Amino acid sequence: MLNMWRISWRNITKNKKRFFISLLGIILGISFVTSMLVADKTTNDVFNYYEQMYVANADYWILSDKHTLSEDSVSSVSTSSAVMETLLALDKQAFFELEGDKSLNQRSVRITGVNDQNSPLLKLPVIEGSLDNEGLVIPEVVANLLNKKVGDTIRFADLGEAKVSAIVEYTQLLASPSDWEGAESTSFRVMAPLDLLREWTGMDNELSYLRFQTNEDGQQLFQSLQKEFLHSNVYVQPVVADDQQSNDIGGLYTFFYLIAGLSMFISGFIVFNMIYTSVMERKKEFAIMKSFGYLQSSVSRLIFIDVILLALIGTAIGVPIGIWLGDMFMQTLLSVFEFDMVYTLNWKIPALTAVVIGILFPVVFSLFPIYNAGKTSVLLTLKKANQTHSSTRQHIIRAIVGVGLLSFVFIDHPVSYLAILASIILLFPLLLLGLSRIFKPILKIVFGYSGNMAARNLTQQLNRNANTSAILAVGIAVILLLSAVIETAPEGYENEIRNTYGGDLRVTSEAPWSNEDIATLRSYESVSNVEPFTEAKPITWETIDGKKRQFSIFAVDKEGPTLFEDPERDELYKELKKEPSILLGKRAFDEWGGDVGGYIHINAPSGVQQLKVIEVVNTSHYSGYVAFMDESYLNNEFGWANSFDMLLTLNDGYTGEQLRDQLWQDFSKHLSKVETVEEAIKSTTSALSGMNELILTMLVLIVGLASIGTANTLLMNTLERNSEIGTMRALGFTKQQVRKMIIGEGLLIGLSGVIGGIASGMILVYVTSQSKLLGGFISFQIPLGNIILALIAGVSLSLFASWISSTTASKINIISSLKEG
Amino acid sequence: MIKISNLNKEFLQGQEKTQVLKGVDLDVREGEFVAIMGPSGSGKSTLLQLLGGLDIPTKGDILINQSYLNNMTEKERTIFRRKYIGFIFQNYQLLPTLTVEENIAFPLHADGNLTKERNQQILELLDSVGLNGLGRKRANLLSGGQQQRVAIARALVNNPSVLLADEPTGNLDRNKAEEILGLISRFNRENNQTIIMVTHDIFAAGFADRIILFKDGVIDQVISRKDDDYAEYVANFMA
Repeated sequence: MLNMWRISWRNITKNKKRFFISLLGIILGISFVTSMLVADKTTNDVFNYYEQMYVANADYWILSDKHTLSEDSVSSVSTSSAVMETLLALDKQAFFELEGDKSLNQRSVRITGVNDQNSPLLKLPVIEGSLDNEGLVIPEVVANLLNKKVGDTIRFADLGEAKVSAIVEYTQLLASPSDWEGAESTSFRVMAPLDLLREWTGMDNELSYLRFQTNEDGQQLFQSLQKEFLHSNVYVQPVVADDQQSNDIGGLYTFFYLIAGLSMFISGFIVFNMIYTSVMERKKEFAIMKSFGYLQSSVSRLIFIDVILLALIGTAIGVPIGIWLGDMFMQTLLSVFEFDMVYTLNWKIPALTAVVIGILFPVVFSLFPIYNAGKTSVLLTLKKANQTHSSTRQHIIRAIVGVGLLSFVFIDHPVSYLAILASIILLFPLLLLGLSRIFKPILKIVFGYSGNMAARNLTQQLNRNANTSAILAVGIAVILLLSAVIETAPEGYENEIRNTYGGDLRVTSEAPWSNEDIATLRSYESVSNVEPFTEAKPITWETIDGKKRQFSIFAVDKEGPTLFEDPERDELYKELKKEPSILLGKRAFDEWGGDVGGYIHINAPSGVQQLKVIEVVNTSHYSGYVAFMDESYLNNEFGWANSFDMLLTLNDGYTGEQLRDQLWQDFSKHLSKVETVEEAIKSTTSALSGMNELILTMLVLIVGLASIGTANTLLMNTLERNSEIGTMRALGFTKQQVRKMIIGEGLLIGLSGVIGGIASGMILVYVTSQSKLLGGFISFQIPLGNIILALIAGVSLSLFASWISSTTASKINIISSLKEG
Repeated sequence: MIKISNLNKEFLQGQEKTQVLKGVDLDVREGEFVAIMGPSGSGKSTLLQLLGGLDIPTKGDILINQSYLNNMTEKERTIFRRKYIGFIFQNYQLLPTLTVEENIAFPLHADGNLTKERNQQILELLDSVGLNGLGRKRANLLSGGQQQRVAIARALVNNPSVLLADEPTGNLDRNKAEEILGLISRFNRENNQTIIMVTHDIFAAGFADRIILFKDGVIDQVISRKDDDYAEYVANFMA
């Protein structure tokens, strides 16, 4: 070890408690950031893994908008020289034959028959058994729920039975519910040999789709097939890895990165406090060094090495903890999803990034003390004349800027949030002064004269104490905002779903609905309206950057169901009729990357089309990863004629639950899914309720981290006031009185932080609720439970933090502290 | 009033033991003004700290007002100090966040003993140390001499029977020092308070009834102001 490093080590560990507290702050900050980086990267990998598994080696697939196509119609593909591999698949809706009283919808299962279970165009992660092309392939969750093992027989009502030949992990192709409650609205999925399924169903020449892998002539074949299928029900699409319709994980991570950033900010403040105080303590040392010829840069370098050493130790401990936390986080996060997904922790690159951040952020936050150390004035320091205290003028300027920034409350812009948080920090000295005056009588009653002294002492290092309080306040404010969003979002989602679902019940068939079927639906007493719901899928398209994406396009019409929200909806219907155009949901629009009025390239069943994007709209369907097109255009020019879904509106007093069994009985041959609007709401909002617990944990962690800052600040205040405390002790203040005084200070800092945080949080929630950018999605609501938790956590952790410092203060050596004075 | 018997104090510096006081015996009468002098490291300040209960002796007894200080717990010593002992420090040791009045009242607050009468007493004390009208000023804004006057008033506010002064004029010029010493001896006379003052300054020691000269942790000489060769002896000793 170099001598300089050894000196730095001595310096930073001179005060063990301060070193430990500061290090803890860095460790927590860096582990939060590491865990988020690891979890984000791993989540991306998980979804990529499942996307790739879904796509396998397939380049294109041929589908039909009539559910099935004849094998003969695509025979040319199998014989084309451009095609290397093909996979034939047929989907058939059926019912398990089960013992017990399971309803039809719970027994509903989609059987996918494939011509080769070992095809390179399929990726089936086998857990048990083998892909022998003779028996059934079932996902693990189905095996567990039905209590089936490899070799056991599964029976299908009115079809036949087959033995289980393989059990596989979760894969999108066989995504199935993991419990009977989930099975109420979602079908199970299993795979069978194509020949067996054809034997059972008699659909000898039929296919649901054909996937194929091509050589370099694939694009040419694709174009020729598009021409070939132009006026048929068959269409060809590239196979695209894009599952954004089924997950919106990106939005979630914005939340968590915000919290990780906040924790790093708090850690940075703790580091700043420690280094700044250390510089102040060592001013004399620096002055002497400079008097012997040390340069400004040499002195600054000494502090820089201290910071680097602290950062290295913090990173070395924080990053492994962060990786472990990331693993915990992934387990919690994936348990929120309906399906049983597996993951491999991807920690190497995130850990490397975290190491860089871990070393850089303490340096960034210490730049001022590093500079300040170098600027030490020899004469002023040796005369002890450079002890600066912030002036009233500085406080006034700070307050004026704070009030100015607070006016951003009235500006509906994302920058307003940063401005409000900055204003909280700037206004905190005033707030702390005000609150300490209010609480002084209470403290005096509780702690006696020590309480009185505590209130006075806060003014001694007003900026530092106020900043400590403000950091706690910012942490609480942001978390309260997040929790208010999480609490009110279900209401917002519910409103959006109800407004854009298009009815009370959506019934999906594997074949297009016939007029006879629609008449039957209309004949139900409980049904007041039946509307066809046309969804063209999967439709591939290109982003502005030329990346291939995939979504659904819904047919809309002024007379049809309401599927999106927009104040100018009627106008938009008219616009859509005027020219080949499209409306994009918010997420699809963001992914596309263009502007309203621009053109999007879409692979229509009738060939590539260039459609004008006339507006971005809000919709609950696929969380906005969707497009809307005029109904007649979709049916004709676009080339998608059939509806596989019906939207049912119920008469007052009836529920979808009552109708469900009847639907399954009447349409058992082709019905594949019945979903009520309530189920759609529940599936969207259930993940959010799980999120609230995560937010509460974050709240306690952030308050805990901020309390480490409080402990650090109090410790420094105590060390700086050693001589004063020594004097008090010499004049008859007992150890207990000193302890009470420090606890009183900590309590005031904590309480002010909590009160300021709650008030600021309410301002942020109000601003969010009034924001037109969010379209009134979040309503103003006071998250009372979280406020109480913030109050309890803030006060109790501040008390704990101040207790740590108070023990140091009460143990000071009176004689040596008097000598310091 | 004060009886010190066989007082020993050792400090551990690293592995090495340093004996600062080596079996000191001393009696101080009630109302006596004693100056303790001696070269640096002779043990005079340590003696003052032990008398104030800021530290405990390694061996020996300290009897003040019929109470053995060395037998008390830390808390008992603090309360004893609050009640019976007043401290005056070389660098005043005023609390910067408090006003002059509040600094003076601090020992009363610590005791929870601030009554209206005591408030009146503080005003009288302010007057008697010549700081009338400055009570509401922040203590750290006063001059050195004024700050030491505040410190004296603070030491006297509890009407302690013993006043311990550690170089009370060490930071002051001769004129200011004379004023402060005049004040201390006035209170000594008027209130019959026992005063033990550590000083390097022969001029300051001249205000005391008795001068105790320390050397290497033991009392080397005790001289009364009434002795004929007092001035000459002290001058030689200090030289």
